[in-house]
Amino acid sequence: MEPSNDLPKFAVLQLSGCSGCEVSLLNSEEWISNFQLVYMPLVVTSNKIPDDVEVLLVTGGVRTDEDIHNLRKGRSRAKKLIAVGTCALSGGVAQFKDDHIASEAFRQASHRLRMPDMLPHAYPIDRFVDVDLYLPGCPPTPELFMTALKDPEGAKIPAIVCQECGRQKLNDMRPTAITGTRSGVVLPDICLINQGYVCVGTSTRGGCGALCTRPGHACVGCRGPANPYLNKEPKFVIDNLRRVFTRMTDIPEEEINAALESPWLSLFLDQFTDYTQDTELPTRTKEKML
Amino acid sequence: MTTITYPLSRIEGHARVVIDIHDNEVFRADFQAMEMRGFSHYVRGVPAEQITVIVPRICGVCSTAHQVASVKALEDTFGVTPPPLAQEIREVLLLGQLIQNQATSLFIFTMPDRTNASSLFELSQTESARAREFSLAQMALRIRKIGTDLISLAGGQFIHPIKTVIGGVTSGIPREKADKMIHTIEELLPVAVEMVDIYWDMSMEMGDRIGSWGDDEPAHYLASTGANDYRLNSQRLRVMLPDGTEAPSFDPHDFANYLQISESEYSYAGISSYMGSVVRANSLARINLSESLGTPIADAYRKRFVQTFGKPAHAIMFFDICRGIELVYALEKARQMLECDLEHGETEVGYSPKDGVGYGLVEAPRGPLIHHYEVEDGLIKSADFVIPTVHNMLAIRRALTVVAKRYVSQDGISSELERAVGRVVRAFDPCIACATK
Repeated sequence: MEPSNDLPKFAVLQLSGCSGCEVSLLNSEEWISNFQLVYMPLVVTSNKIPDDVEVLLVTGGVRTDEDIHNLRKGRSRAKKLIAVGTCALSGGVAQFKDDHIASEAFRQASHRLRMPDMLPHAYPIDRFVDVDLYLPGCPPTPELFMTALKDPEGAKIPAIVCQECGRQKLNDMRPTAITGTRSGVVLPDICLINQGYVCVGTSTRGGCGALCTRPGHACVGCRGPANPYLNKEPKFVIDNLRRVFTRMTDIPEEEINAALESPWLSLFLDQFTDYTQDTELPTRTKEKML
Repeated sequence: MTTITYPLSRIEGHARVVIDIHDNEVFRADFQAMEMRGFSHYVRGVPAEQITVIVPRICGVCSTAHQVASVKALEDTFGVTPPPLAQEIREVLLLGQLIQNQATSLFIFTMPDRTNASSLFELSQTESARAREFSLAQMALRIRKIGTDLISLAGGQFIHPIKTVIGGVTSGIPREKADKMIHTIEELLPVAVEMVDIYWDMSMEMGDRIGSWGDDEPAHYLASTGANDYRLNSQRLRVMLPDGTEAPSFDPHDFANYLQISESEYSYAGISSYMGSVVRANSLARINLSESLGTPIADAYRKRFVQTFGKPAHAIMFFDICRGIELVYALEKARQMLECDLEHGETEVGYSPKDGVGYGLVEAPRGPLIHHYEVEDGLIKSADFVIPTVHNMLAIRRALTVVAKRYVSQDGISSELERAVGRVVRAFDPCIACATK
């Protein structure tokens, strides 16, 4: 194939993940006229990453020995590498529970002939290669993808989800119980915590446009912890959320604790922070976080 | 023995085709899923009511189907019936997913095969594509985005939707937003029709060029859409025998009596059969099992399809053509449904969680999807996901064997084999993330 143009080349390497990040990228058509997509197995038939790639986006966690190989090879061919999505940043949803029986069942099921070996854990990619920029989100919005590709340095990312939510926090509306996963009628324009929902937008990195909370769905924290909690253990985020709920509600403490430790929140909250216990990982600075 | 391995692109996930050849004779052809998601193991012990947020992450392409199937399985367990308005909104949500998926498969995955291009973006730069007044790539992504926008509108989030909850949906669709969506659909429906026509013509040319539409023996067909009602928020599974007669339909509770699912030593994906026979799910199964889709343009396409190719139609590439018919159907149907009042009325009913067993069925783009949970002490004791791609595994393997035999002869292995293998697999539009749940 003739080189069709001289637009900057970018590539997308998918490790073990769900393709949701790729689906999100395809929701933007803006990049078609700004970049040349040279490698992305989901949409382009091409067996290898060319060695003059400007930007390599990596999605998915490291789950197999092939993932390690492909990741290292990709790194060596790209000027800049961006880690995209929950799985690339943390390993991924596939390890959200520390359940011995489940892990053992998985290990037994994950041994097949002529197949790549499954690793004991799903690892974040920066355990194996240097990462220039992190783009968290499950998945990141198409707008965030475009910012990462075009102008990450100039981006102004709101510190927390609340800054883009537009819902008002009220002092005199104090719920006494958690509305939980069960829904009621969501009142417009009023903070979801005032309405008893377990919304973690107060500790979660902004930039998503508050696309869940604006129509009335509690934030599950998919963009990961805000800058003050980077590289800190999960308990720092949980402690901050506990303070928020104690300040804004009259919900009994045990009920708050139980809700904050629920699996659907740990899906994101722990994942973005449990890497802090992995001594082989580099420190992630806020300058590298989009 | 020679073993040829073809890594696959333009499909969801990591998979490859392996063909064993001995003395220029095809010994075996296999389709292998190369990764394992493992959700059926990880969700054990999760509080049942939270599983609906977790399981969409099985797959970013099929998340909507998983979310709705999951909610329906818990409604079955708890004995809850959502109100009619919620059922309608869930249907709009699933139509959004069908649009997004069929547009992706048609234009991004398989259209490049029609001209041996490596991607839609390369295809858009060819002379014949430039001669058109619009960019194929841009139009394809714009049509696809209607699906995404419908998912956001009816589901609350654009990839992992959140509005469908046990007992119904959290809110209706405001008139103003519905009207805006209708406007976009009306603007892009003619473009979609033109794209489907281009695709159909390209496919006819390709069929003539390679001298085959992917011949294979007739198979059984499995779908949960009706003969005259193409509802994706479905209730029962239907089966067509290879001769076109219909077998008795069955309830998702009874799936294990009809569908036998086993593991494979050579792949991380399972394999299912319909009472021991090769079965096919996905677009061709639904069209074969339908008499009418209920929208004018799609029905005209369906008529043309039946007149040209017969009923039931069996060749592999017909899956692709049927996806085009369904894309048009889903756009027309979404417009019809949005014209009704989806804003006022009861959107959800209350419920009390209880232990037990439940099944949730939806017609996902790739075929019938069933979530089956056992709940004990409020926690998931076991979760089983019956995956459409797994229904197609035997059919994919058989079709690959047929195509391998076509291109491997005493003269050697034809260079066309690699492309042919890609066309066959893409016709089934397999989803590896789901298949290895």
